[in-house]
Amino acid sequence: MITIKFEAVTQSFYGRTIFQDINAELRSGTITAVTGQNGSGKSTLLKLAARFMLPAAGQVSVWEEARELRRAELRSRLAMVTPELRFYPRLTARENLAFLLGLRGITLDDAAFSALMMRVGLRETEIAAVFTGEFSTGMRQRLKLAALLASGADIWLLDEPGANLDAGGRELVLREARQAADEGRLVLWATNDGREEAAADAAIHLAGH
Amino acid sequence: MMKVIQARMLPWAVGLLTAVVIYLVFFVVPPAQGLGDYVRIAFFHIPMAWVSVLAFLMSAWWGAGYLRRQEMRADRLSAASAKLGLVFVVLATVSGAVFSKLTWGAYWNWDPRQTTIFVLLLIYGAYLTLRAAMPEPRRRARVTAVYALFSFLTVPFLVFIIPRLYFSLHPSPVINGSGSLDMDPVMLGTLLAGLLDATLLYVWLVFRSVGGKDKEALP
Amino acid sequence: MQQSIWQGIKLVFIKELTAGLRFKAAWAAMFMFALTTLACVSMALQGGVVEPRLLAALLWVCLFFAAMAGADRVFADEDTAGTLLTLRIFGPSQAVLLGKMLYTLFLLVLLAMFITPLFLLLMDVTVAAPLVLWGTMLLGCTGIAAAGTLIAALTTGASVHSGLFSILMLPVILPVFLPAISLTAGAFGSGGITGSYLGGMALYDLILLVGASILFDYLWYED
Repeated sequence: MITIKFEAVTQSFYGRTIFQDINAELRSGTITAVTGQNGSGKSTLLKLAARFMLPAAGQVSVWEEARELRRAELRSRLAMVTPELRFYPRLTARENLAFLLGLRGITLDDAAFSALMMRVGLRETEIAAVFTGEFSTGMRQRLKLAALLASGADIWLLDEPGANLDAGGRELVLREARQAADEGRLVLWATNDGREEAAADAAIHLAGH
Repeated sequence: MMKVIQARMLPWAVGLLTAVVIYLVFFVVPPAQGLGDYVRIAFFHIPMAWVSVLAFLMSAWWGAGYLRRQEMRADRLSAASAKLGLVFVVLATVSGAVFSKLTWGAYWNWDPRQTTIFVLLLIYGAYLTLRAAMPEPRRRARVTAVYALFSFLTVPFLVFIIPRLYFSLHPSPVINGSGSLDMDPVMLGTLLAGLLDATLLYVWLVFRSVGGKDKEALP
Repeated sequence: MQQSIWQGIKLVFIKELTAGLRFKAAWAAMFMFALTTLACVSMALQGGVVEPRLLAALLWVCLFFAAMAGADRVFADEDTAGTLLTLRIFGPSQAVLLGKMLYTLFLLVLLAMFITPLFLLLMDVTVAAPLVLWGTMLLGCTGIAAAGTLIAALTTGASVHSGLFSILMLPVILPVFLPAISLTAGAFGSGGITGSYLGGMALYDLILLVGASILFDYLWYED
């Protein structure tokens, strides 16, 4: 059971307040949507949840039962899909995943890799000899989902995961997120899509300043 | 309450002590054998060199404090200390070079102590350049704290290794090789007063430069 | 996860090597820079007789600046390619630091093996103590790799990039630089090789390595 607590969190950059006084408690087993217009700080909220940055005021903490998760321990439990995420452009999809998952101590054999590519809708024969730098944005997005799924992370931080995907791809994201929540993972999902928002169990709305 | 009184007293104490030290240096201390009146420079040079080193130590100390507790006050103290340190290290270098010219005939000859103080000058310069190049305050605080601590690793080298690499003309510090005090009591007293004065001046300036902004300090 | 630290270091090293081999511009820049510096020095001296101490200093200046042109890329490249965030999500700090350090060391040793024989040839130097020379090179490269990897991580996100890396490196690396010049001069036959300098360099390398390892965690995890 993992909980992410936001207590009176305020964030500002160069004196501009992005959002203030956010209070929320996110629990594993649920999908929480983060909504708000462009520039309202959805991505920032996700980064705060991952503790990639500290808020200007207030506190963000991640708990497993009564124990606080921090630094390396927290990092190894989470995975992210964001537009800023990039793969190594001069490695193939297989090499990228082998490297990134290998750092988490996960090895991916041929069968598992095939199954994973099938699951995210990438054709293995098409990508076998291609560097990810030559991927289309949609293919890259699907590869990000593959990394997320294979990581087995307990905390999913999704920043517009449906962006750049076709209808089938969006369906896939919804299905996987629901299944992950049912398996007891914590899903935090930044979105502007009404359908994705409706699929969530709870929502944080950022009004914007 | 005590703190407020101390803070108000400090500038007066520094001013008074500075006046006393200047009087002692110019009117009381006798000319030294061999060095003559030039010795008077040393009473400014040594305290400045001491504060240069102290400011470096404190900058690293507050840097470590920032990394531990993420308080922006520690970052501001670290920065203030480095800025003062730069001023003092420049003054110490210049006064040392003048003394060197007057007594040994050359401004600079890469004497071990000159090398040491030059490295210190480079570190201060590098630290402040890094600060100026980092736009985001929290990242700047973190990165400069790490650099202050990392560059502090050079200290054992500066103190123990460099003096062996080069031959030195620099007079030994107050306590010489045999461990005995080799100084006229009047001179020693003046020097100690000068050291105390420079230290207090540093303390006053460092805390003054962060004092006003204290209330808006980020958590 | 403890036993996988070596695995992680190996993964990072192999990743760097693969990316480096597939994109040779970075390597080419570093080696050509070294060659250019070397050519400048050699041409300026016009084959005149130079004393060992000056020769040693010239060799290290060539090496240092060529290293500066290559070593700062280990994190800057990830930053510009946008892969730094990916690496921060998936990579444990020590595996990333030590893997990158090892790769930098590998590059620097290659560079030293490239530049030193050429230097000896062009300057017509006879090496009196080759083992001391290679030992010094190895220890010098280790020091530059250890300090350079941490400082490269520091400078990501800086608004001014050019020159910042060298400015930050020089004071920290001087304790490696100065004994290295003395030892190299000794190896070129100026006499008076002090074995304790080698020990001193090794000790300082170790201090840099441990210091970088402790401090890197504060850069990798923001809290």
